[in-house]
Amino acid sequence: MIRGNRIFLSCAYWAFVLYVFVPLILMVMMGFKDSKFIGFPIRSWTLDWYSGVFADAEVLSTFGYSIAIAVLSTIASVVVGTWIAVLLERSRFKGWGVMFGLTVLPALVPGIISAIAFRIYARYLGIEPGMGAIIWAHAVHNVPFVVLVVMARLSTLPKSQIEAARDLGADPLVAFLRITLPYLVPAILGASIFCLLLSFDDFVRSFFLGGYDPTLPVLIFAKLKSGMSPEINAIATVALVLTAAIGIWAERFTRRANKDTN
Amino acid sequence: MTQDPLVRIDQITKTFGETVALENLTLDIARGEFVTFLGPSGCGKSTTLRILGGFEQPDSGRVILDGTDVTRQPPEKRHVNMVFQDYALFPHMTVRQNISFALELKGMDRAAIRARQDEIMDFLELGAYGDRYPGQLSGGQRQRVALARALAPDPALLLLDEPLAALDAKLRGQVQQELKSIQRRTHKTFFFVTHDQEEALTMSDRIVVMNDGRVEQDGTPEELYFHPTSRFVAEFIGETNLISGEMRGREGDAVVMDWFGQTLRGHASGTTPRPGETITASLRLEKLGFHNARPETGNAVQGRVVRKTFLGSRMAVDLAVEEAQGATLRAFVDAETGQAVGSDPVWLGWDSDSMAVLRD
Ligand SMILES: Nc1ncnc2c1ncn2[C@@H]1O[C@H](COP(=O)(O)OP(=O)(O)O)[C@@H](O)[C@H]1O
Ligand SMILES: [Mg+2]
Repeated sequence: MIRGNRIFLSCAYWAFVLYVFVPLILMVMMGFKDSKFIGFPIRSWTLDWYSGVFADAEVLSTFGYSIAIAVLSTIASVVVGTWIAVLLERSRFKGWGVMFGLTVLPALVPGIISAIAFRIYARYLGIEPGMGAIIWAHAVHNVPFVVLVVMARLSTLPKSQIEAARDLGADPLVAFLRITLPYLVPAILGASIFCLLLSFDDFVRSFFLGGYDPTLPVLIFAKLKSGMSPEINAIATVALVLTAAIGIWAERFTRRANKDTN
Repeated sequence: MTQDPLVRIDQITKTFGETVALENLTLDIARGEFVTFLGPSGCGKSTTLRILGGFEQPDSGRVILDGTDVTRQPPEKRHVNMVFQDYALFPHMTVRQNISFALELKGMDRAAIRARQDEIMDFLELGAYGDRYPGQLSGGQRQRVALARALAPDPALLLLDEPLAALDAKLRGQVQQELKSIQRRTHKTFFFVTHDQEEALTMSDRIVVMNDGRVEQDGTPEELYFHPTSRFVAEFIGETNLISGEMRGREGDAVVMDWFGQTLRGHASGTTPRPGETITASLRLEKLGFHNARPETGNAVQGRVVRKTFLGSRMAVDLAVEEAQGATLRAFVDAETGQAVGSDPVWLGWDSDSMAVLRD
């Protein structure tokens, strides 16, 4: 009975893995196919699509553009998110629940709705579509994740740590900078990576708030409209490898950092 | 020698919602004293310490440190340091960095910091661990680092909140001796909190027994042990016989009481009972002497052994006193004396001075 269960569970697990990875594997494979048409059979292989991607100035600048947006919006999210987390974690003031709810709301609003709302609001404020508008929308959307992750970490910081710092002559600011902040580093790093990936991956907000320059997902979308080609597979594979590498590194790093400080 | 006290706690009251943590607490601490705050959990020991450290504000009353009112001063401004119960070492800093934290904030230059670090680490035998992180130290070592860190800025007053509670019994005994000797060598004023009466007795110059946010008794370990003034203190510290009876009158300094028809004489210091009142006295187990004939001591009764408990170096003997309606007394005697007593009645004698009449 238990044995049967085990076999069933492991079969289900591997079925799930296949289900997730087969499309990815197919996508990666097609990027190496020596033909303009996507599909089997693959008769010969090539790296031409990749060399094409790395020679394409538009693709490269779009990569850079997306990365810049991701980095800048992440910095904004992390600063604002950490600040809100510290504020919320410190005390349970009147209206705490309302403030907390409003803080996490942006993460829950459907992308298309928040994108349209941002578009209208941006026009109302006279903000031009483009990099600034995208960064703004991404930052707002990502703040809740920073708040939640940083608050969770902060709640495990013993109160005596700050009291000890104060006791030894630190004013509240110095205590924050020298004790609280270092303690939060793993959480802030983890949240940053998550924000970077969310921003890099975002299509809807970038599409609605973008100017003439496309972000990477928007560019891929535009290319798709003019027909599927292995070039797109190559671009997507590069993006996949990049994000997966960052994600795995960050996961390992934060796990190690957490272990060290506990 | 009437010097100003280092610390004066002046009529402090502190409440948390409905809970009264401290009620009108007044206490002076002299320079260089090792004072222990002793009391059961929840009696307000930590709260007192936290008020002295500046982490809590009293509802009313004042804290005077070295002649200055510091009641409203934040912790970083006070010349007081604390050893926290969980040590609160900074996990991302090495032992050296933990110790120099306060020194840097004082604005000391690098050479002076280095010198002070070396001095304090040498003093507490931490030299070999300077570059380790707290996570790489044993409990006893962490405890010493916490002490080193608190002593480094040379505070006028050191607060210790149950700093030994996390150590195992064997190590605790050793660290108790160490702490005491550190206090002697530094001539610092230590304000030590514990709920462990044995620890308090072995370490302190002076013990303040707390109960329910109030001071029960304040005195040397010997005074508290042999002359408790209240039932709470008598029962909280050590083991004792509680003897209840009717107050009959006075004979000089002694209080005469009736205990199931036996006339006993005790000594009252914290209370002035009136004849006719029911009073309780505390008689320490080791104050009862065994005699073959009626002894010349202030009090003497005859008892019959009902149980003997062997405790290694000594023996606890329970005796029933037939002339007092079979009431029992317990005595500590050395093992040989204990073994020698048989089933025949034995005379028990004790001085009136060793029986403390209590305030209820
Ligand atoms: N921050 C607080 N909030 C509410 N009640 C508290 C707080 N700190 C202490 N108390 C209460 O005050 C009383 C005294 O606590 P404390 O000083 O910690 O006792 P002790 O250290 O002697 O065990 C207890 O009843 C405790 O529950
Ligand atoms: Mg306590």
